[in-house]
Amino acid sequence: MIVAERKPFEEIKALVKDFNRVLTVGCGTCVAVCLAGGEKEVGILNTELTIARKVDGNPIELGGVTVERQCDMEFLDELDGMIDQYDALISLACGAGIQFLAERFPDKPVLPGVNTTFIGANRDVGWYEEKCRACGNCCLGLTGGICPVTMCAKSLFNGPCGGTNHESCEISPDQPCAWHMIYERLSKQNRLDSIIEIFPPNDWLNTTPRTIVQPAYKERKAAR
Amino acid sequence: MSEMILSDMEEIKINTDVLVVGGGYTGLKAAKGISDSGYSVVLIESDTIIGGEKNPLSFIGIDVTAQDELKRLVDDVAADDAVNVLMNTRLVSAAGVPGDFTIRLATSDGDLEKKIGAIVVATNFSNKPLSGAYGLSLSDSVLTLSQLEYLLSGSDRDRLSNKTIAFMVGFAQEGDALVMERILSNVLAVESIGGCTTYVFAGNLKVASDGLERAYLESRDKGATYFKLKTMPTISPDGESISFIDPVLRKKMELSPDVIVIEEEILADEMNPLLAAILRIDVGPGGFLQTDNIHRFPVQSNREGIFVIGGTRDVQNIPTALMDVENAVLEINHLLKDGKIVVPKNKAVLDIGKCTFCITCYRLCPHGAIYWDNTNKPVISPVACQGCGICASDCPMDAIQIGNYSDAEIMDKIKSNGSAAPDDLRIVAFCCQNSAYEAGLMADAFQMETPANLQVIKVPCAGKVDLDYIMKAFVEGADGVLVMACHPGNCKSEKGNTYAEWRVVDAHRMLEETGLEKERLGFVTLASNMGIGFSSAVVDLENRLKALGTSPFNK
Repeated sequence: MIVAERKPFEEIKALVKDFNRVLTVGCGTCVAVCLAGGEKEVGILNTELTIARKVDGNPIELGGVTVERQCDMEFLDELDGMIDQYDALISLACGAGIQFLAERFPDKPVLPGVNTTFIGANRDVGWYEEKCRACGNCCLGLTGGICPVTMCAKSLFNGPCGGTNHESCEISPDQPCAWHMIYERLSKQNRLDSIIEIFPPNDWLNTTPRTIVQPAYKERKAAR
Repeated sequence: MSEMILSDMEEIKINTDVLVVGGGYTGLKAAKGISDSGYSVVLIESDTIIGGEKNPLSFIGIDVTAQDELKRLVDDVAADDAVNVLMNTRLVSAAGVPGDFTIRLATSDGDLEKKIGAIVVATNFSNKPLSGAYGLSLSDSVLTLSQLEYLLSGSDRDRLSNKTIAFMVGFAQEGDALVMERILSNVLAVESIGGCTTYVFAGNLKVASDGLERAYLESRDKGATYFKLKTMPTISPDGESISFIDPVLRKKMELSPDVIVIEEEILADEMNPLLAAILRIDVGPGGFLQTDNIHRFPVQSNREGIFVIGGTRDVQNIPTALMDVENAVLEINHLLKDGKIVVPKNKAVLDIGKCTFCITCYRLCPHGAIYWDNTNKPVISPVACQGCGICASDCPMDAIQIGNYSDAEIMDKIKSNGSAAPDDLRIVAFCCQNSAYEAGLMADAFQMETPANLQVIKVPCAGKVDLDYIMKAFVEGADGVLVMACHPGNCKSEKGNTYAEWRVVDAHRMLEETGLEKERLGFVTLASNMGIGFSSAVVDLENRLKALGTSPFNK
């Protein structure tokens, strides 16, 4: 899941300082699950802004709505007719959702209310850990299900480096060495031979904006 | 405001089979009692036998009546068709809710899945020898209490005749009444053997339990000598001599006993943490499976339909454990009835359309009342739900509404400003119905001082107080807000008061960010009989607000 965190309040307050009528748009998918941008957070952000602007003697009028997913255009249609009453929009969706919202309503300033942080997993309520850097070339089959691109400070596909320090990484004793963990996991599975296999360099050029069309829908895309 | 609307009830069918975990004395007794009430029982035991013959004296000691009863129980249970005994079997998982649990058991013939309605956990104590703390190794002349019990119950108990026996208790641990009870019953048993001389070296004598004072006096009458010492006596490493200062004679004394018997520490079953994780029940002090919470009546866990009895929940002697068994049988009857029970429909209602299936509710429910089925949406069990609202206040989509305490109803109350004079400072107090709300009624009844414009909003648990309620109250013109919860450890939903306090901390941070004085928001814990505490908490806040002036929303 994509994990985001609410922007510092001061920053959001500064972003909306020139606007008096603002609509906060939540997203009911990843950011709702990671407790950063669902209906509850829309309400709380609006209340905070209402109080802050009242204290400043510059009241603001705020609306709130949460759509199913801001990264699907179809779900943004329900905002038609609502947008006109507002000077600007705050989006609590991830970077993808914010950009789709901005694309769908190009005449309105769309301001981010969250920082999109990583692709992660949910350890407990409100506790998330980064697990994937979306490198585009998954090596987890060789690394015992532990991602060295995410977990190794150097993102080494073939490790460890000389900085492995007992079980830790040289950057900090609190940072486990990814390749140590990989070794331990593979060793328990009797698959240590796969640590010997050299994983070819990743095509880092793939960091230009990527588009994926699932095979079953290539024809559909071509026909558009 | 009416309590739960009874017309909104529905009848549901539930499974009435019961799982009993543990084939010791209490487990067998519970299985028999539940079966006698007309329910089918699955009794699982990790050992290869029931009745604990392998370690016969760990719980019932040298109580002959209990030993006979245990033997009879083993036969009764074996003969009872309604009790399915599975030995060599462990509980692997337990999904679902009361009336509809799906359990998986690992048996010697592979895994087994079963549907059951309720679970009784009856694990045993374990006894840890404390000889190490006395600097002694166990031998023919240095025995643990369990070893002595074994000897006393066996045929070679006469080995002890004409011997001098010294007991050690209360130097290696604080101990408790049950440790003392075991020591005293063993002292009495030893004294009934011809020619024995008994000494008891005691750091403390814990006799605060039925009959212990009498047993202590009886043992003295029969000739036992007690030395109450402040520090552990010096014992030679072979256990052959004990030297100490007699506090009465103030003289150095030396004693050469034939046998030294060392106290044992009574510990919770090693299986408890694993069982607690599988059953999602709370672990209390010492690894016993019940927390120190006044709302946990005997045998109740934090989950409806899962009962903890005897040595599972506390250090207990036999009479108390047997009382637990009876309580568990009553609870089972009360819960399962004839397989058809009537439950409220609106205790907690989930809006499936809004739900984003983040499982925050599942993780936070202190009663384990939420699970999910193959529709991949959470289901809130009306049997298990206690209506505390902890799930609702943390739902990121506001998808859960609590009967009588919906967000809309509470927002209406936050907005209504009563009939107070416009100049009065307005205070909104969210009060847990189990404590602060009652304390507020008491303050009213006794005409204790309260602010003129105090609005009390009753909540089912302080854990229901949504961050949004606190913040919205300020927007709706509250000059001050109080969140009033139960004292630490007293929350009926275990953690509602803690969650409420954390939320107030979070709201303080937010208020600081907005520039509104955070002193306008307070958190207080109360008990239901603290009318004065209620009065002083609200008056204190009013005084703080007088210094701060009215809120910007009232200017």
